[in-house]
Amino acid sequence: MNAHADADQEFLAQAMPAFISEAAEQIEAIETLLLELEEQPDNRELLDSLFRCAHTVKGSAGIFGLHRVVEFTHHVETLLDQMREGHIALSPHISTLLLHCNDQIKYLVDTAAQSDADSAQQSQERAALVEQLRALTEGRGTATHGTAAHGTAGSQTDTSTDSASGDAGPSGAEGLWRIAARFGPQTFRNGMDPLSVARYLAGLGQVLAVHCALDAVPPLEHLDAESCHLQFSMELQTRATREDIEGAFSFVLEDCEFDVVAPQSEQQKLTRAIEDMPATPRLGDMLVAVGALSQDKLQQALQTQQDSRAASAAQPPKIGDLLEAQAAVAPEVVAAALNKQQKLREGAPSEERYIRVQAERLDAVINLLGELVIAGAGATLLARQSRHESLLEANLQVNALIEEIRNGTLGLRMVPVGETFSRFRRVVRDTAASLGKEVNFEIIGGEAELDKSMVEKIADPLMHLVRNSLDHGLETPQERLAAGKNRAGHLSLIARHETGAILIRIEDDGRGINRERVLQRAWNRGLVEPGVVPSDDEINMLIFEPGFSTAEQVTNLSGRGVGMDVVRRNIEALRGSIVLNSVPGVGLQVDIRLPLTLAIIDGFLVGVGQSKFVLPLESVVEVIEAADSNVRADAYGRHVLELRGAVLPVVRLRSLYHVESELPERVSVVVVNSVRGSFGIEVEVLLGQHQTVIKPLGRLFKSLRGISGSSILGSGEVALILDVNALGELVTSEQKNAAGTSPVERREAVTS
Amino acid sequence: MGVRHELPSALTIYTAVATREALLAWVEAQDGRGAGKLELSAAQVEEVDGAGLQLIAALGNMERPWVLVQGSEVFSQACRTLGLARWLEQAGALA
Repeated sequence: MNAHADADQEFLAQAMPAFISEAAEQIEAIETLLLELEEQPDNRELLDSLFRCAHTVKGSAGIFGLHRVVEFTHHVETLLDQMREGHIALSPHISTLLLHCNDQIKYLVDTAAQSDADSAQQSQERAALVEQLRALTEGRGTATHGTAAHGTAGSQTDTSTDSASGDAGPSGAEGLWRIAARFGPQTFRNGMDPLSVARYLAGLGQVLAVHCALDAVPPLEHLDAESCHLQFSMELQTRATREDIEGAFSFVLEDCEFDVVAPQSEQQKLTRAIEDMPATPRLGDMLVAVGALSQDKLQQALQTQQDSRAASAAQPPKIGDLLEAQAAVAPEVVAAALNKQQKLREGAPSEERYIRVQAERLDAVINLLGELVIAGAGATLLARQSRHESLLEANLQVNALIEEIRNGTLGLRMVPVGETFSRFRRVVRDTAASLGKEVNFEIIGGEAELDKSMVEKIADPLMHLVRNSLDHGLETPQERLAAGKNRAGHLSLIARHETGAILIRIEDDGRGINRERVLQRAWNRGLVEPGVVPSDDEINMLIFEPGFSTAEQVTNLSGRGVGMDVVRRNIEALRGSIVLNSVPGVGLQVDIRLPLTLAIIDGFLVGVGQSKFVLPLESVVEVIEAADSNVRADAYGRHVLELRGAVLPVVRLRSLYHVESELPERVSVVVVNSVRGSFGIEVEVLLGQHQTVIKPLGRLFKSLRGISGSSILGSGEVALILDVNALGELVTSEQKNAAGTSPVERREAVTS
Repeated sequence: MGVRHELPSALTIYTAVATREALLAWVEAQDGRGAGKLELSAAQVEEVDGAGLQLIAALGNMERPWVLVQGSEVFSQACRTLGLARWLEQAGALA
């Protein structure tokens, strides 16, 4: 027995981190659901989901023997259960209470591993919360609900369940159970006594009726005094669970046939519990899990099925029928379980299967994938040189597969941004409340996916911007009404895919950026020469300068002056860009653009002189070979291309990056799409599609506009990856290019 | 009027065989006398179990009218627990 217990302890210790992270997910889900529920208080599905989450946390905690978690969560679960039954309706007070309870559950789970970590303050707060919960639930007089769904370890050893003793296991509903027992002849000889079984059962609750049938007892002259022919039936009103009740028979299992029938209302609850269960394919397991059936009875029924299968070639009895007949499982409950099975077989897509993967392992695989891509390119090069037909073909096939694996693997790291956005709901709610502002918060496009590491890094900057909107942008209800706006301010987080990038927009309908104040501050700080008035866009961007804050007092939330420049730096570190669009009195729109992935992209390789460049394939619209005749210099010295009636500006990489080489005989133009519109890039050699593993630029090259990274080609050469959007800005800017001076140089002169 | 039979203080599996013998002898004797109802007393019963109660059940199944005229507290409680309270209904004074 001891070795068993040790092995169990070890298992629990190893599994604890998994429990904590899974519980954390449930807790997060609870918060999201609660906030959604505030918008739709009658949504039955939300209430069901809420209950399930709490129930799951409680059940898992029970397995780990985490009594505090179980006890507290049990009260929350009770309230949620009554809410989903429709007995209690959501009110703002209840909503806030539940949010606080969820925080407490989080605290309890986080400190679960340390049994002594419980501050007096927390435990006081917890007690206060419990009081409030009980005031709501017990005011109704209905006892708490708890099926033996997860086999809570806490109550297993204590068979004399007095629900008032406060042990960790949940108490069942007061229910009327029907128990029938027939004792076999050997009962006395095996040292057992029907009277003590009856006594034990009576100790579990209140016996409403008990009857001992004596028909099977032979008359005294024929009786063998040491053989047992007794049987009794009993109606027991108790809070005990099925396990507790059947526990009475644990010593007479061999000699006694017994039936324990759940109370009628219990069956309805069992039916619902079955519907709520996560995927469990086997009928018997499902019924055991919800407490409609004990494991022993299931084994008996399975044995019967097996025996009859072995005995005759005819169809063995169905397990559902057996359980109804042998184990007294109510027909409705069996039907519900069969229904659930049917739904699962049809592959109800509502529950997806997930696997937990350590992030480092995934990163390691992606790294290897990068190396694989490069190696593949190298092999292709050699294959081409060999001019060996079948080798080339095989190589192409390998490359195609590599590309597929690449897409699949990179996809593994993509998560919907909505998950991160949802976290903000709580912040917005609490912050708006503390500032006395009313805010409608909307999330649009949460399904847009982004690399997981980027999502994590973007969360803080986004939070800062959101807080900024709440603090500085959105006005109080009075101010808004005075300005002719709606009482409640509107704040949206929008995510959307664009060419090769993802756009995240924070939009509010507040007062916008006060440009006069910003300019004044900039003058005071010497950021701009006093008296010089830059363009509106430039004034807006001034708020990103370090140490800049126009807030008169540093508020608790933002405006400490370290915020916005860190935000910009974080975004630029992700190779993203941030653009502000402000209309005074109307609102502010902050646009953040991030590349979709940091790792590998489909590229289009081009050559200029001895140098190689890569363009993101997504942005390439068309290629015009031998276009030299069409590229002209206009009156301002800018190069343009006439294409089907439209005039496109053209970037000449040769002059842009001072590539030295002989002038080529002919040039080609790659037409690309950027945020600023289409334009052409003049190159000399077109080298075709190329899977590009992105390596970051060294610090030396960071100031070079238009380059976003580098890549190693199969030949070992280094190719520079062009930043199409940055090039687009360069080429469409209004500033004239003086002949011979590239915009690149000019910028360097300004910033150095 | 027959002789009342007094059940032993230990009405359990351990004494079941002997008690049965005694009961059978007593019934036979009553039959011989042509007595009315068999009168059984459990006033002295201090220990009882299922086997003991079964004996009385078997007696009852002999198709002779019988009545429990008295029962000790221990005995009465056991009857109630196992679902044999109907035996006690006709009894006289119950402790």
